Amino acid sequence: MQVTFNVSRSAAAGNGAAGAAVSTYEVELAEAATVLDGLLKIRDEQDGSLAFRSSCDRGLCGGCAMRINKKGRLACVLPVRSISKNNIVNVEPVRCAPVAQDVRLDMERFHWRKMKKVQPWLSPRQTPSREHLLRDEELEETRAAMRCNNCGLCDEGCTVIVVDSEFLGPAALTKGFRFASDPRDGARLQRLRQLSEPGGVWDCTHCFEANGHCPQNIAPTDRIFQMRDEAILNGIKSGITNPKVARHYDSFAKSVRQSGWLDETRLAIESEGYGNLKGLLKLLPTAIKAMKRGKAPLPYLHAKRPGAEHITRIFEKAEEK
Amino acid sequence: MQYAFYPGCVSKGGCPELYPAALKVCERLGIDLVEMTDVGCTGAGVLPAEISDPINARTFAQAEAQGLPIMTICSTCTGVMTQANARLQEERYREAINAEHLAEEGLRYRGATKVKHLLWVLFEDYGLEKLKEHLTTSLEGLRVAPFYGCYIRRPSDLITKDFKGRKEYLDELIEALGAEVTEYSGKGKCCGFPILTSNERNSLAMAGNHTHEAKSKGADCMVTPCPLCHLNLDGNQDRAGAQKGVEIDLPVLHLPQLLGLAMGFSPDELQLQRHLVDTRPLREKMSVLA
Ligand code: SF4
Ligand code: SF4
Repeated sequence: MQVTFNVSRSAAAGNGAAGAAVSTYEVELAEAATVLDGLLKIRDEQDGSLAFRSSCDRGLCGGCAMRINKKGRLACVLPVRSISKNNIVNVEPVRCAPVAQDVRLDMERFHWRKMKKVQPWLSPRQTPSREHLLRDEELEETRAAMRCNNCGLCDEGCTVIVVDSEFLGPAALTKGFRFASDPRDGARLQRLRQLSEPGGVWDCTHCFEANGHCPQNIAPTDRIFQMRDEAILNGIKSGITNPKVARHYDSFAKSVRQSGWLDETRLAIESEGYGNLKGLLKLLPTAIKAMKRGKAPLPYLHAKRPGAEHITRIFEKAEEK
Repeated sequence: MQYAFYPGCVSKGGCPELYPAALKVCERLGIDLVEMTDVGCTGAGVLPAEISDPINARTFAQAEAQGLPIMTICSTCTGVMTQANARLQEERYREAINAEHLAEEGLRYRGATKVKHLLWVLFEDYGLEKLKEHLTTSLEGLRVAPFYGCYIRRPSDLITKDFKGRKEYLDELIEALGAEVTEYSGKGKCCGFPILTSNERNSLAMAGNHTHEAKSKGADCMVTPCPLCHLNLDGNQDRAGAQKGVEIDLPVLHLPQLLGLAMGFSPDELQLQRHLVDTRPLREKMSVLA
């Protein structure tokens, strides 16, 4: 079959393909050919200067992550037929990292830098004198995260990275989970504390975008949720430099525990903190406007739901555990 | 057509205009709502599953005993409940929660309760054709930007895998009401509300990007099925605009409000005056259209 490839070309280390030139190639490919087959053929036969990464050709190494027909995917496991009826393939670099050239990313400046921050190595409690034996189930969740191939496609889909490139992002946080959940690791709480600092798990909006982008079905958002839950149950409700997160959790939990439901106005006040005059003042204009329109129910006069005592009981039992 | 109605915290707290609008619309459509009062907050993605799963199991058990599916008017409630319900399908986990938390009050959840947002009820149970019989005021000429937010479409394995149409319901509803859909890239993105406390700058950046984009693509208003999205998109729109250095002024309606307008309820009856973004320009446009 005859396939048209429109490939974004850029030598600049700018981000994304905006303003980048496009090269168009016509290639003859077998019916079952993948997008990577096409790109390799172009590089071999038509244009040796075309830059992209690929290695395993099995969907395992994550190297060939690109934006193909507007979606981040792995080129090596993507048959051309599956994405285009008219045999037109548009290839751009994924937007989660700066471009080194064409569709090859500068992974160091984005991906690896963040990976290093989560200390992606095992820190055993003590140097083991013999191999550490585990039951299969003990490693079940960790093993799922071990499937990560560092393709970075979850970062590509992440809602927060778009507005804040310093957010650790789902790829690095999933790597954090891989070690924080490993029963052989001795630094679990330390990791949870570190991942609770700004830029970590509490900056995730739990939008579930990452899940839909991960080709390995690791569900990065669920892994982030697990770390948050773990952190809370271990008394780590935020990092040292973002105490508002802990105040928010405490206020939220307190109001549901006492009354069965949420006292929103109180939550807003208590999250800022009673002693935080600057924060409280900042709330004021919106609060006054909202009160005028009857949108800010009076805090503390929050009526209990019928049956609130059952919610209190559930809280106490769950927290005891 | 009867549902166990779970209104959620926000429709009676920070967005008190949502609750009466939903009741009015459902009453006229003949959707019978039996409100659940003795139920806890879903946890909203803030409380850990260890605490919120038993609270939600308790809610599900009550609906199950009534033999009714649950209807919500909040995407976050819907999403958190759907995720909890998926975990509770595993019998051992469910029975452990039954034994530890629910047995004491004679409740037991068997895993059968369905949770549906009003938007899904309209499409999957009620039917668009029947809905059209209740439309009295065409919204023709009105340009509406749909804002889905997260939990009414994701995670896809739980929400849209078996109901592909859910990705487009809001668009289809806007069209069914006679209005025009404003296309923009932010419609399925996150509003930013969940990180308002942890990272206000990022949160407002998201709210600002979406409302500003919709406005610049020509929208007269935005509509959302989630009151938490509303808190950020409407309640914080001026701050989001200020951070971005633009004035946005885009009215944001709750789903039952937009529907209510097309069913002949007045903006006052639907309490549009309670929003923080001035809705008068929208009213004017509607009266010109009428
Ligand atoms: S769930 Fe969190 S990490 Fe994942 S894409 Fe959304 S904001 Fe990013
Ligand atoms: S978690 Fe999934 S999408 Fe993210 S880097 Fe790993 S394999 Fe890729």
